[in-house]
Amino acid sequence: MSGHKMNRKKGTIGKLATSHIFLILVSITMLVPFLWMLFTAFKSNTEATSMNPFYILPREWRPDAFVTVLGNYDFGRLYLNTILLIIFRVLCAVLTATMAAYALGRLNFFGKNLAFGLVLLQMMVPSQIFVIPQYVMVSKMGMTNTLFGLVFPGLVTAFGTFLLRQAYMSLPRDLEEAAKLDGCNIGQTFFYIMAPLTKSSMVALGIFTALFAYKDLMWPMIVAPAKEWSTLAPALAKMQGQFTTKYPELMAASLLACVPMIVIYLIFQKQFIQGIATTGGKL
Amino acid sequence: MQRKPISYRRQRRRSEFLWGWAFLLPTVVGLIILNIYPIFYTIYLSFHKSGDFGRNNIFVGFQNYAKALKDMQILKAMRNSLLYMLMEVPISVALSLVLAALMNQKIRFRTVYRTIIFLPMVAAPAAVAMVWRWLFNTEFGLINHILGKKISWISDPKISLVSIAIIGIWSILGYNMILFLAALQEVPNDYYEAAELDGAGKAVQFFRITLPLISPMIYFVLVTRVIAALQVFDTIYMMMDRTNPALQDTQSLVFLFYRYSFVENNRGYGSTIVVLLLLITLIFTVLQNYGQKKWVIYD
Amino acid sequence: MKKLISLSLIAAMGLSLAACGGNSGNNETKKTSEAAGSSVASEAGSEASEKKGGEAGSGTTLAVGIWDENQRAGLQEIMDDFTAESGIKAEIQVVDWANYWTQLAAGASGGELPDVFWMHSNESQRYMDNGMLMDLTDRIEKSDKIDLSKYPEDIVKLYQLEGKQYAIPKDIDTIAVWYNKAMFDAAGVEYPKPDWTWDDFYEIAVKLTDKEKETYGLVIAPDNNQAGYYNVIYDYGGYVISDDKKTSGMDDPKTIEAMKFVDKLVKDTMPPLQLITENKEDGLLLNGKVAMAPQGSWMLPAYKGNDFAVENFDIQVLPNYNGKRVSIYNGISWTAAANTTKPEEAWQLIEYMGTKEAQQKQAELGVTMSAYENTSDAFVNSFDKFNLNAYLDMMNDMVIRPYSRDTVTWEGKFIEHMTSVWGGTEEMEEACKAIAAEMNDTLAAEN
Repeated sequence: MSGHKMNRKKGTIGKLATSHIFLILVSITMLVPFLWMLFTAFKSNTEATSMNPFYILPREWRPDAFVTVLGNYDFGRLYLNTILLIIFRVLCAVLTATMAAYALGRLNFFGKNLAFGLVLLQMMVPSQIFVIPQYVMVSKMGMTNTLFGLVFPGLVTAFGTFLLRQAYMSLPRDLEEAAKLDGCNIGQTFFYIMAPLTKSSMVALGIFTALFAYKDLMWPMIVAPAKEWSTLAPALAKMQGQFTTKYPELMAASLLACVPMIVIYLIFQKQFIQGIATTGGKL
Repeated sequence: MQRKPISYRRQRRRSEFLWGWAFLLPTVVGLIILNIYPIFYTIYLSFHKSGDFGRNNIFVGFQNYAKALKDMQILKAMRNSLLYMLMEVPISVALSLVLAALMNQKIRFRTVYRTIIFLPMVAAPAAVAMVWRWLFNTEFGLINHILGKKISWISDPKISLVSIAIIGIWSILGYNMILFLAALQEVPNDYYEAAELDGAGKAVQFFRITLPLISPMIYFVLVTRVIAALQVFDTIYMMMDRTNPALQDTQSLVFLFYRYSFVENNRGYGSTIVVLLLLITLIFTVLQNYGQKKWVIYD
Repeated sequence: MKKLISLSLIAAMGLSLAACGGNSGNNETKKTSEAAGSSVASEAGSEASEKKGGEAGSGTTLAVGIWDENQRAGLQEIMDDFTAESGIKAEIQVVDWANYWTQLAAGASGGELPDVFWMHSNESQRYMDNGMLMDLTDRIEKSDKIDLSKYPEDIVKLYQLEGKQYAIPKDIDTIAVWYNKAMFDAAGVEYPKPDWTWDDFYEIAVKLTDKEKETYGLVIAPDNNQAGYYNVIYDYGGYVISDDKKTSGMDDPKTIEAMKFVDKLVKDTMPPLQLITENKEDGLLLNGKVAMAPQGSWMLPAYKGNDFAVENFDIQVLPNYNGKRVSIYNGISWTAAANTTKPEEAWQLIEYMGTKEAQQKQAELGVTMSAYENTSDAFVNSFDKFNLNAYLDMMNDMVIRPYSRDTVTWEGKFIEHMTSVWGGTEEMEEACKAIAAEMNDTLAAEN
């Protein structure tokens, strides 16, 4: 009996060791591109493209590439635009979605299913189908190269509505009954009682929307080609065209674009991971 | 006695109706303007030939579709998008399931692993594409240095799509893992204890208990990832120059959509491509929805 | 609930405010563009200045769009002189070639173009035809600084439609061969002489190619038409497009002969296509992988700033075919958006960039060869480590870069075919014939 237990323990240790090896290998794979970005950014072009001798680390950590990139692009502006885009997208998404989700998740009224159908339809259709008409609308309004133009497709969110609807549906029924007895009307019930209970899902939606806005390439590239309103992602695409094979410059720019988000992620790790886990819905 | 509840109920119903639509209004109006109208407008455009700078659309009927279905580039792009999806989705889902299962044990450094594996999710895809392009460089890339080979990762038509899929898997692994991990943590422990008493091994437990219990999450990930993978664009846009010999065998439908709509300003043809993509997406979603009844278990 | 409503109101206001801030004076856009179009220059100017509430121009900043990073520093220096003189600031934005046209087209259909920008013969017809560019005809007539006869006629004509002039030439470019002396020395090959023929060129390139060591004699990318294969075509007596722009010359026997020669160069002396696309022509030259490449004069700033190039590179004129030595040439130009909100300031900048002084300085700084007559010496003397005279000598027999209204459409297909030829999946002769057929279709649709 005890021998059996011993064996099992050994087995577990062996399994844990295998798990560690596997996880370490995967972690290395995840990290190498970031490290390579870092090392290349501090090399000279000749060093980066020299095969013989081949150095992994820069022989001398030189900031030249950063100087070139920062001299060419106003990163302050790029950060600012990206942050503005993120803030407005998140505000719009959370505001509109939380209201719509409450209506869809907790109320019963005529037309609800039709509205929910619209939400589902939007989610099933590839988002590129919206791009040309949205662009035409923005350009007819004369709003290309504006913050409004950048935020435009994110004024409402079907995904967010869907996500928050799930959150509302999982709240217990008696909460509303209690509110009703206290004399709250539907608006008050929503605002004072129900909405605060979905805070974690709102945070999740906020994080998800922020990441999406930060990563979005095609829309800002089309709608805000001017330098004044460029965000990080399309600016990087432009830099690749400009510096073509000057890898230290390209890597320096990539690093500058990635580091702020990575730092934010490392600080708010728990919220990020929980938030993302929530986007899977409570199925 | 009887009238009061009825009128109360009616009042309540009216109130729910008014509040419901007040809450829904911004989203519904937004969806109609931003999404529903565009769907029809794009379909409308796909029946037109567009003039310079998107002016003067001329109705051409099904001409764009007839042309698209004979256009080798588009047919190849369809194949590329599908192949990409067939590589990215199953491999990333399988790998992240394994990772999530490993992370669901009482194992040290869990948070560290989780943090690192999730890292690619917070990097800008443009930056990710650039660094991989550099890693993949035939002459000076790190990967060929390590392998001691001269593989043209992104310019050999036979492997470039695989390389793009590698980047896709690398980028999405953390996201899927987090979702699966969340689902795994919901699985009650007593199931395993009972199975252990029955003498079921870990592998049997995984397939008999874990997989069925998290099958709704697997289904969710599959559906969303298939839709997303069919829309691959960023990496290909950043990786492929127009003189790349692998371009034809790598470019996706969305890449062609972007090229036709915004580079060549042929919005009619661009719309046609995206409508074709819509059809493909719908087919896959319907198929999965049909298939899920056979394997997804809801409690 | 109140809180929520006020919050959403604030958010909505913030949005609309921000949107307004980014788009000041949109309503005036149309008015001023009409004014500019109706040739009352002074009126447009005064309107623009009224809006700014100050003296015409001073204090405003013009957005300037170009596609060549290598020229930015030099041009900014010239524009700084302009700012000192006029008080109008000019801010250059560089967007690489491919994205430049995407963004310009997006800007054109959305009514948002840079104030002043470069125009190229590939696209000029379409832009002029659609009224996207500011009509400069009357302004040029009134100007005492601009005299169109001082620029090469062919280049001036590229930016003309129905008797109206939409742009002022910026530069002129010719083609010559850049070579790596060190690689010639290592292979024991003599440096090229001005009278070399394409056959000599081929033999030299073969000698310099060592496929074992993965070094190559030559590189011409499949999309390098102007500096690359177009020159060979015209040397052989072929042509790309007929003078009336109605038929393609790609199925002309002489063109095919020339392209077959190019094919031989590709197969025997060039690196595999993978290497070319991943590292580009200049990357391969600068890494010592390739010994020769025909390059346009606009590449000078890229090489003179590189130590390896300065130490090892030199330039020779293109080879000839039976004594015929053509250089494809082209010239880009400065133009303004038809709907710019600052037409007067934009014109002032364009006018300044076209003056002899500015053109002279552009050549002296070695930015590129200037379009203005008799400024070539300044370009040749701008840098003494390379034999820049080669570019000047190439001016003796020039053919304007082939173009039509929809150049981009057929050029795109052209390059697709060339890419497959380079990649070994298509035969050159078939490719040329296929290009001819597709080109003829496009050209027929143009009229």
